Amino acid sequence: MPKAIRLYVRYVDAVNRAVGRSVMWLVLVMMLVLLYAVIARSVFGVSYIWIIETSQMLLAAYYILGGGYSLQLGTHVRMDLLYSRWSERTKARMDSLTSGLVIFYLIVLLLGGISSTVYAIEYNQKSYSSWAPLLWPIKVVMCIGIVLMLLQMIAIFFVDLAKALGLPIDGEPLEEEKLQGQELK
Amino acid sequence: MNYETIALLMFASMMLLLITGQRFFGVIGFVASVFALALWGTGGEEMPFNAAFVLFNWYPMLTLPLFIYMGYMLSESGIADDLYKMFHVWFGPVPGGLAIGTILLMVIIAAMNGLSVAGMAIGASIALPELLRRGYDKVMVTGVIQAGSSLGILIPPSVVLVLYGLIARQPMGHLWLAGVFPGLLLASLFIAYVAIRCYLQPNLGPVLPADERQVSWGEKIKLLGAGVIPFLIFFAMTGLFLMGKTSLVESSGVGAAGATLAAIFRRRLTWQVMERTVRKTLGISCMFLWIILAALCFGAVFDGLGAVHGLRYLFLEKWGLDPWTVLIMMQVSYLIMGTFLDDTAMLVIVAPLYVPIVIALGFDPIWYGVLYTITCQIAYMTPPFGYNLFLMRAMAPPEITLMDIYRSIVPFVLVMIVGLTIVMIFPQIALWLPQYYYAR
Repeated sequence: MPKAIRLYVRYVDAVNRAVGRSVMWLVLVMMLVLLYAVIARSVFGVSYIWIIETSQMLLAAYYILGGGYSLQLGTHVRMDLLYSRWSERTKARMDSLTSGLVIFYLIVLLLGGISSTVYAIEYNQKSYSSWAPLLWPIKVVMCIGIVLMLLQMIAIFFVDLAKALGLPIDGEPLEEEKLQGQELK
Repeated sequence: MNYETIALLMFASMMLLLITGQRFFGVIGFVASVFALALWGTGGEEMPFNAAFVLFNWYPMLTLPLFIYMGYMLSESGIADDLYKMFHVWFGPVPGGLAIGTILLMVIIAAMNGLSVAGMAIGASIALPELLRRGYDKVMVTGVIQAGSSLGILIPPSVVLVLYGLIARQPMGHLWLAGVFPGLLLASLFIAYVAIRCYLQPNLGPVLPADERQVSWGEKIKLLGAGVIPFLIFFAMTGLFLMGKTSLVESSGVGAAGATLAAIFRRRLTWQVMERTVRKTLGISCMFLWIILAALCFGAVFDGLGAVHGLRYLFLEKWGLDPWTVLIMMQVSYLIMGTFLDDTAMLVIVAPLYVPIVIALGFDPIWYGVLYTITCQIAYMTPPFGYNLFLMRAMAPPEITLMDIYRSIVPFVLVMIVGLTIVMIFPQIALWLPQYYYAR
């Protein structure tokens, strides 16, 4: 694989890993926000208007920004009626053919996201609630997440293509990190 | 082209592309966006992202990552070890007793968690090695763990019922309570099956050797203390929710915190455990939420074709079917689709079509939610596609082959179909508890 592609794969992997490993802790933040709501209401008798929307925004940021890293973790299920019986090479061949489908979906998702974000910024769109937070920040975050997912999917396509063609690709930054770690010792 | 043809084309292209083994969310999203662009023209490109805002407004979906987190935390916290020991001692002297104990363990895990992941993780890591070491039949115990852990989505709390409640617009409290007795019914049927089978073929589930049974009554009573923490977690989560002290989503936050506290209390919470739990939670949550995101778009395009009215017209007017035939056809179609399709996607795509018909036929949508969930449990275990199958394959020790896993589910699927039929014939099994509780 050309050097540009190898660099692309390495950097996209690293960025998504860093983003994903940061947002994965948001599950604890969601838990704490909800606990705070329960304690504030039952002990101090106060209810906050920002709890629900804040948690909704946290969830959206959590799964969309974490999407790229979840692709790396390989948790997305597939129908493996035939897939599980194929060799690694055949899997890579088929995946490099069908990655285009996922990339197409993510591009359409991104186009809709951008148009929705532009609208939210132009008209200062707010949520219909008593708290009425501005909606563009979360939409921008969602768009960034979709871009990261798209970049990761393209990286995965390159890795699959390399495997399918039998070309070497150092698309495993994890291995490299380990090697560098050993060299440092 | 008329709408029926387009609808069929959408389904057919989805099935065809899924066979390539590409990720579910990608295939569903692709078919949805292609048809959105082709059918809607301008504005069609907005549909996939609009689904993200439908999902955004589904506040109860927050329970999903929190329950997944809770499940992994519970299996790491080691409270299942004590529970297992308790059942081991109490049921060891009965033929097949350890398998029966495992089913009861799964019922308790199910009462603390809303998915089958926790039950599978605990079953495969704690119960399975013990059962194999004691000479239990490997095919039977593999089935016990898969069937037992599937109770996680029926016995409250349940994420599947939350998703159903969102789509069918039904109250979560009613749905959760409706799941209690069908869940216990299924557990009893599993136990009856194991007990009868082991009574007839004692070699499948040997009695514990005499020296291991020498446990004093004082010791036995002390072991019952293992039930205290699970009960506290159950009460803090489902109890407070049903009493109206916490909202649904808050209760999942309380449960997640409870599981974390249990792990701290038992001195199991190391940095590695925390990192592993949080990472796995992200992976599984993203898998579910991206599938729901894509399926919502698919559902919206499908709905725009007038599929609900088309289906109702076809069933009720054109074919003139009676209500029960329609209901049975729906369940059979769910069962068949469930073997191939992802259950979450199936719920998001098909439930909006079926639920209005169920209501129009005069059936109770709460009861139907329970029927759907039992079907989902079966779908979790039936090859080629099922979450419990995947988890079992990933976690099972090497002596259990793929064929063993496939063979193991056969009797349990039959038992579950019997259970499903009983709940269909006697809706009160599901409905009396919510009616009793909310009538007060």
